[in-house]
Amino acid sequence: MTSPDQIAAQILSTKSLSVSQTWLNAFLSSSSTAQRNIPASALAKTAIFRLLASDIRESLSKHRSCVLPVDIHDPAVQERRLQGSIPVQVLDIEDIGTSLWSQIEAIERVERGEAIRGREIVRTIAVGEDPEASENNRANNNPANGAASTSGNSGYGPHRLILQDAAGTMVMGVEMQRIDGIALEKLAIGAKLLLRNPSIARGMVLLSPGSVTLLGGKIEALDKPWREGRKARLLEKTAGVER
Amino acid sequence: MARKILCVAEKPAIARAVATHLSGGSFQTHAIRGNQYVKNYEFDFNFGGAWGACSVTMTSVVGHLTGLDFDREYKGWMSCPPGALFEAPVQETVDKDKLPIADNIRNQAKYSKALFIWTDCDREGEHIGSEVRNQAKAGNARIEIKRAKFSNTESAHVRRAALEPVNLDEYQASAVAARIELDLRIGAAFTRLQTLQLQTVVAALKEKVISYGSCQFPTLGFVVDRYLRVQNFKPETFWGIKVILSREGKKVNFLWKRVHLFDRAVVTMMLERCLLAKQAKVTKVNQKPTSKWRPLPLTTVDLQMMGSRFLRLDSQTIMKVAEALYTKGFISYPRTETDQFDKGIDLKKLVEKQYPDSSWGQYARELIDGKFRTPRSGRHNDKAHPPIHPVSWVSPNQLNANEKKVYEFVVRRFLACCSDDAKGQSTEIEIQYGEEFFHTNGLIVLERNYLDVYVYDKWESSQQLPNFERGELFEPTEANIFDGKTTAPNYLTEPELIGLMDANGIGTDATMAEHIAKIKEREYVAINQRGGGRSSVQEFIPTRLGVALVEGYDNVVEGLPNSVSLSKPFLRKEMELRMVEICSGTKTRQEVVQQSLDMYREVFIHTQRRINMLKTACRKYLVEETTS
Repeated sequence: MTSPDQIAAQILSTKSLSVSQTWLNAFLSSSSTAQRNIPASALAKTAIFRLLASDIRESLSKHRSCVLPVDIHDPAVQERRLQGSIPVQVLDIEDIGTSLWSQIEAIERVERGEAIRGREIVRTIAVGEDPEASENNRANNNPANGAASTSGNSGYGPHRLILQDAAGTMVMGVEMQRIDGIALEKLAIGAKLLLRNPSIARGMVLLSPGSVTLLGGKIEALDKPWREGRKARLLEKTAGVER
Repeated sequence: MARKILCVAEKPAIARAVATHLSGGSFQTHAIRGNQYVKNYEFDFNFGGAWGACSVTMTSVVGHLTGLDFDREYKGWMSCPPGALFEAPVQETVDKDKLPIADNIRNQAKYSKALFIWTDCDREGEHIGSEVRNQAKAGNARIEIKRAKFSNTESAHVRRAALEPVNLDEYQASAVAARIELDLRIGAAFTRLQTLQLQTVVAALKEKVISYGSCQFPTLGFVVDRYLRVQNFKPETFWGIKVILSREGKKVNFLWKRVHLFDRAVVTMMLERCLLAKQAKVTKVNQKPTSKWRPLPLTTVDLQMMGSRFLRLDSQTIMKVAEALYTKGFISYPRTETDQFDKGIDLKKLVEKQYPDSSWGQYARELIDGKFRTPRSGRHNDKAHPPIHPVSWVSPNQLNANEKKVYEFVVRRFLACCSDDAKGQSTEIEIQYGEEFFHTNGLIVLERNYLDVYVYDKWESSQQLPNFERGELFEPTEANIFDGKTTAPNYLTEPELIGLMDANGIGTDATMAEHIAKIKEREYVAINQRGGGRSSVQEFIPTRLGVALVEGYDNVVEGLPNSVSLSKPFLRKEMELRMVEICSGTKTRQEVVQQSLDMYREVFIHTQRRINMLKTACRKYLVEETTS
């Protein structure tokens, strides 16, 4: 019979996550007797899978060493560095390199079915550019590129995230260097990240490939409404921008 | 049997030009009864080969001879439900005003052993050729049919075409026949439906015909789409970082690699981290030869786009002028998709013809004296015509103002194609400042080459950059935050609209200008002048009716997953693709007509069922807005 400690140790060593005692006990008691006889490593895998789909405020330890300091947002602090690995979950992701309006237009193109192969519409033509350049333009008529060209940016962020730790503290994270896997279509709401000795500047966590490990996962109950409500939120924000 | 050859061109001017070249200038002109423009020119010519020396009658038609229409009982607007027009019987008849021309061809055919067709070498020309053939066969069932293949009316070219007759391309003629039938049925069905339904809704539409065309509507769709994008646009503020260094008496601006971001706090934090770093480090110094490529050989779409941009003429005018220049033998056939010159064509000889010109004659001479380069090849070849190029030189005082502009453009473009690329030296400096990257670029133009003759392209040296070394550190003179606002796109201009039609497969290069003229004529769009003086631009703005129709049709298919709106290019694009299949022989005319009718019939049924969507849109834009 596998002990809770064995599982906890396994999760800590593979994912650097300190699991909450209560959550783990609940997990073990919910699993059937049949499962209890399977090897610890397999059980730990199931636990990790559940963990990544869970709300970390319930599933992870709130020990001082694995949560954010409560004064993390202090804008007066120019820079500081936290020690250790701190797990957080993603509550929001936004592309701050692309205007809200071109993001809305991109969503509408998809709504109109123009993302379907063969149904694309070319809407922007570079008149009088170098012929090769305009040839390229014609070939590249997928919506992502269209959005990028109107905003004058690559369409790939940087992204601004809202992150939450196990204690419920929320903080803004800024993608300072491109991180694979951080993208609107790829990163789910509720996905878990591990911040490793992150730098904090003016209350914002600086995210770079060196300080972030993507663990993945998703909180279905948050992700679905977030996606469905995204256009409405963008529209609301653009209305707020007006002088 | 008389050894007589009957030649028929597409237009009287071409008939006259060909007659002049083949006869060496001595021919007899006879008027024909009932038409003041068409003449018969008689002369002798030795065709060599099977025909040998023959007497020739050269005449012409004036465009299409026949038209397609519904049988009499379907002609009245109330005679049948509009949907019946998808199947109603149709008949091809000679247009009333063309009857004397058809008579002339039948009569002449009686005394001729062969019909030699000289219509323009494109799809329409092939179809007109088939109409001419039908008339000739009616006059003389045993007449032999041949066709001349030519792409300009320059003397040597015409004489060669006369010696090498080919056969009529039945596939191309069928493709046009299919298009004509589809345009008639689909156009009439939707026009009747929407006119009858909408007339009752709004007083302003009472006496109006609200015509539908399968090219016009997507064309209108582009104009409305852009208009709505401009109208709905919401400006947003962005912030960025700029870094300036003063060195060697020069001020160098470095641009942020991130361009700008839409979060002020983030940008402020990033700038602070730059400043904290104090020194910037040069991470890249790239100096390399660069070039600006000479343009590709000229196609019709490019002529229309560039022309309306640089010559300030609308596309329809440009095409008319180009047509006139072609008919007079100054430029090659102006309807072509080809952007590569055939290996066989003697380009140098064409360049030499420009020697007498006072503006670019010297340039042409320099090309032949060693600067000539083989033109770049594009990826398009319609296998019918070469790119548009000058075939002979003409003194500017023989041309009117518009002809002068278009001719000059065609010549300069051609000479540019035969020139070397412009060459220069580019410098790219990249620096890292804190965690952020910035860059600046310099350009020194070393050899202008084609730019000397192609005055429409600009490529100029930038300010010279001071020296930088890779790895060096420096403290920037200034680093600041700047802000700005996103701006709405502009309303659609004609060159853009042509580009969009081309990119989305609406119309052929030959017909785009007509569709644009149509939506203006129907009052679906209006022209707005932006700016003043030389920099003024003409923009397309949809009328209320134009917006109402597009919104109405979009709403008709709203929520129907597999139906697409008539304001979108897909249905028409698919139809154009099927025309190409007829031309290549993979589909027959009947198959294509049936398939395309089926696609449109489906939308027609939706439209009938949800006609209230259209009515509501018209009420919204034509009643509520005008009274408020």
